[in-house]
Amino acid sequence: MQILLSSVCLALTSIVIGNAYYQKKQFYPAVVYITKSNASMAVIYIQFFVIVFMFGKLLRKIFLGTLRAAEFEHLLERFWYALTETCLAFTVFRDDFNPRFVALFTVLLFLKSFHWLAEERVDFMERSPVLGWLFHIRVASLLGVLGILDYFLLMHAYNSTLVRGPTVQLVFGFEYAILLTVVASTAIKYVLHAAEMRTDVPWENKAVFLLYTELVIGLIKVILYVLFVFIMAKIYALPMFVFRPMFFTIRNFKKALIDVIMSRRAIRNMNTLYPDATPEELRLSDNICIICREDMINHSKKLPCGHIFHTTCLRSWFQRQQTCPTCRLNILRTPNANSTAIPRPEEGVGGGAAGQGAAAAATPAPVAAAAPIRNQANGAEIPRVDGAAPPNAASVPGLFENMGIGNAGSNNLPGGLPSIPTTAAPPNFPTLPLPPPFMIPPPFPFIAPYAVPPPPMPSDLSTLSDEELKLLEGNERRNVEERIKLLRNIELMLNAAGILMNNYQIITARLQTTVPLPTETVASSNNTTNNTINNTNERPSTSAAAAAALAENQLHTSGTSNVASVAKPTVLTESSTHPPLQKHGDVTIEDLGGEEHEYGVTQGGDAAQVSASSSVHTSGIEICTDDKTTSVTAEQPENTELSELRKRRLKFLEENSKMSTPTTTTENTSSD
Amino acid sequence: MAGSALRRLMAEYKQLTLDPPEGIVAGPVSEDNFFEWEALIAGPEGTCFEGGVFPARLLFPPDYPLSPPKMKFTCDMFHPNIFADGRVCISILHAPGDDPMGYELSAERWSPVQSVEKILLSVVSMLAEPNAESGANVDAAIMWRERREEFNEIAKRLVRKTLGIPS
Repeated sequence: MQILLSSVCLALTSIVIGNAYYQKKQFYPAVVYITKSNASMAVIYIQFFVIVFMFGKLLRKIFLGTLRAAEFEHLLERFWYALTETCLAFTVFRDDFNPRFVALFTVLLFLKSFHWLAEERVDFMERSPVLGWLFHIRVASLLGVLGILDYFLLMHAYNSTLVRGPTVQLVFGFEYAILLTVVASTAIKYVLHAAEMRTDVPWENKAVFLLYTELVIGLIKVILYVLFVFIMAKIYALPMFVFRPMFFTIRNFKKALIDVIMSRRAIRNMNTLYPDATPEELRLSDNICIICREDMINHSKKLPCGHIFHTTCLRSWFQRQQTCPTCRLNILRTPNANSTAIPRPEEGVGGGAAGQGAAAAATPAPVAAAAPIRNQANGAEIPRVDGAAPPNAASVPGLFENMGIGNAGSNNLPGGLPSIPTTAAPPNFPTLPLPPPFMIPPPFPFIAPYAVPPPPMPSDLSTLSDEELKLLEGNERRNVEERIKLLRNIELMLNAAGILMNNYQIITARLQTTVPLPTETVASSNNTTNNTINNTNERPSTSAAAAAALAENQLHTSGTSNVASVAKPTVLTESSTHPPLQKHGDVTIEDLGGEEHEYGVTQGGDAAQVSASSSVHTSGIEICTDDKTTSVTAEQPENTELSELRKRRLKFLEENSKMSTPTTTTENTSSD
Repeated sequence: MAGSALRRLMAEYKQLTLDPPEGIVAGPVSEDNFFEWEALIAGPEGTCFEGGVFPARLLFPPDYPLSPPKMKFTCDMFHPNIFADGRVCISILHAPGDDPMGYELSAERWSPVQSVEKILLSVVSMLAEPNAESGANVDAAIMWRERREEFNEIAKRLVRKTLGIPS
């Protein structure tokens, strides 16, 4: 077909030239005759295009060899688009439309085609099993030639624009600048691919380099396009012919940007959240990364769900999807607690902590700024109410130590119970949700809620958790965990009782506002603490099941209570003391969940650190929220209110117990 | 060292060659291009497709296994989950982001732990048990639901056709 066409064209040209010679007999008149005749010129032009086409084929043979089917298809597709755009460009420059102009556009299209082919070839490198020296020589020389040509044409366009003002050369200069960026990115990709091929091990950071190359080149291209459209719109008309490529460039740039962001996030998560797989773990698994199907010798990570992959494989997957490839656990939903949440999926309680941690992570706030403020706030007022610290301090050792709060009370109050060691929280608490201004707490409402949640009855709780655990999984360490949970519960109960007592003391002290007797209050509070502990323990309570159920639903409830507190901020005495109350009940139980969870992992696995941090988050939130809500109400609390509140609290717990089904993670995550 | 996609495809090819699942043959169309495979799938026994051998093409994206391959039967097919042009519509071939039919669970979607073998096994089970909810081929879906006899008849004819037996 092509041969037929070119031979027909050649024949036509010969006829035209022969005819001219036949008629004019001499060279010069013959040339004049041809140029005067439109038909002859048309034939000559067509011949010119055929020659260009054949020259292109020759160059392709030299630089690229035979094209693959896909390459040819892509070339054809892009060529037609480019042709359409060129025709559009003609309309802008219809005034200086002449053969030279057409020739320049032909050259541009010609060079563009080779740029596309070079790009395709380099992309193919990664997919090709074997590449000979010929390939490298061809690609390198093609890229070199293209780069030099682009540069010279760009300089030519630049100089002519300088000398003669804005002409059509502006378009060419811009087009060659774009092509130069294409050459640059192709060359970088080529170098990266070639470098990887020379090594025997996979080059882990290649994907990252490629990503950044794309980003930078994309940025340059976008700037060029925008600049060009702006200049053209000022001088000529809106350049319709660059809209399509500009759109694609911007889209690619956006994609590259998102990719880079996702990749960075994935890398950060990889580095901070997930532990390296130990040789032991690798030996226990089948030692094959299921993403790339290759042995895992080094650089592999263990996800919260216990699945192990290559760091690089995982990173490239997380760029697209933040789920475990095997079990589809959403790792973004459980960014902090995840390291421990799954090795022992006790989702009824642990899932709650995890979900809370996720909620905390969702709205990052400067912790560094928050901590000192809270330090001041608590440091100023807490000494009177020592008991305030323990429930939090037990689960948040790192935070409170950082803040310099003496939490000796945590060990005093449990009264003989073995204080269970908590692993130190990691020093970085990346996220705390609430802004610092709300963190200055009047101490007593902050503690008051502790009084209200009924202390969970150990036996009830244990049976319930047993069922829960059985439902969730038959864990071997179940018994140990149950025992620890029990102990934890007792400790917490005692703590809560202590706080409650302190609270009562302070409130009564405040109520006698006209007669301020601060020292006496403190003293009396210290005296009565022990009694209150007993009282609180003996106080009839709603079933422990309710409390456990609350632990599961706690996220939900805290959410609603938040809403409540926002909804009625003006009703000082009643409705706004109520929400924090609920919330603090949640904290207690939630902390409980967090701690036992944490402890179980300390026994079993290596990932306790993150869990500790998760409980930091949860309690951090709660504290903040409380401070926020209660600071409003702090002024005029009344004793009668407390009993009323307690009633409400009990009612609330009972309601909660009705919907206590261990639906666990889904529920927790859905509420954030 | 070649690209990771290529290495993974080579590994899968090796695995499929060494330990082929029953009723499935698959491999690259040519050794030069590991990103296009040809597969032969035997119709599952006890179904209307029994006895047939159905050829299909698998096209792998450059970022395999992060993105799923595309699969297309190269013979005539009449099946609720196969488009008229032969494209296979099963959830394992869809990336978690897109849901062409709006009903698939993300748990059934593509993930890098899937493989050619799993895809082909899913296709075999799809042949055995069409999902009439998914309307890749609505005519086939309706016929499968309401006029099973007719559907089986067409399937038998297709089977004979793939075997080169005049119907």
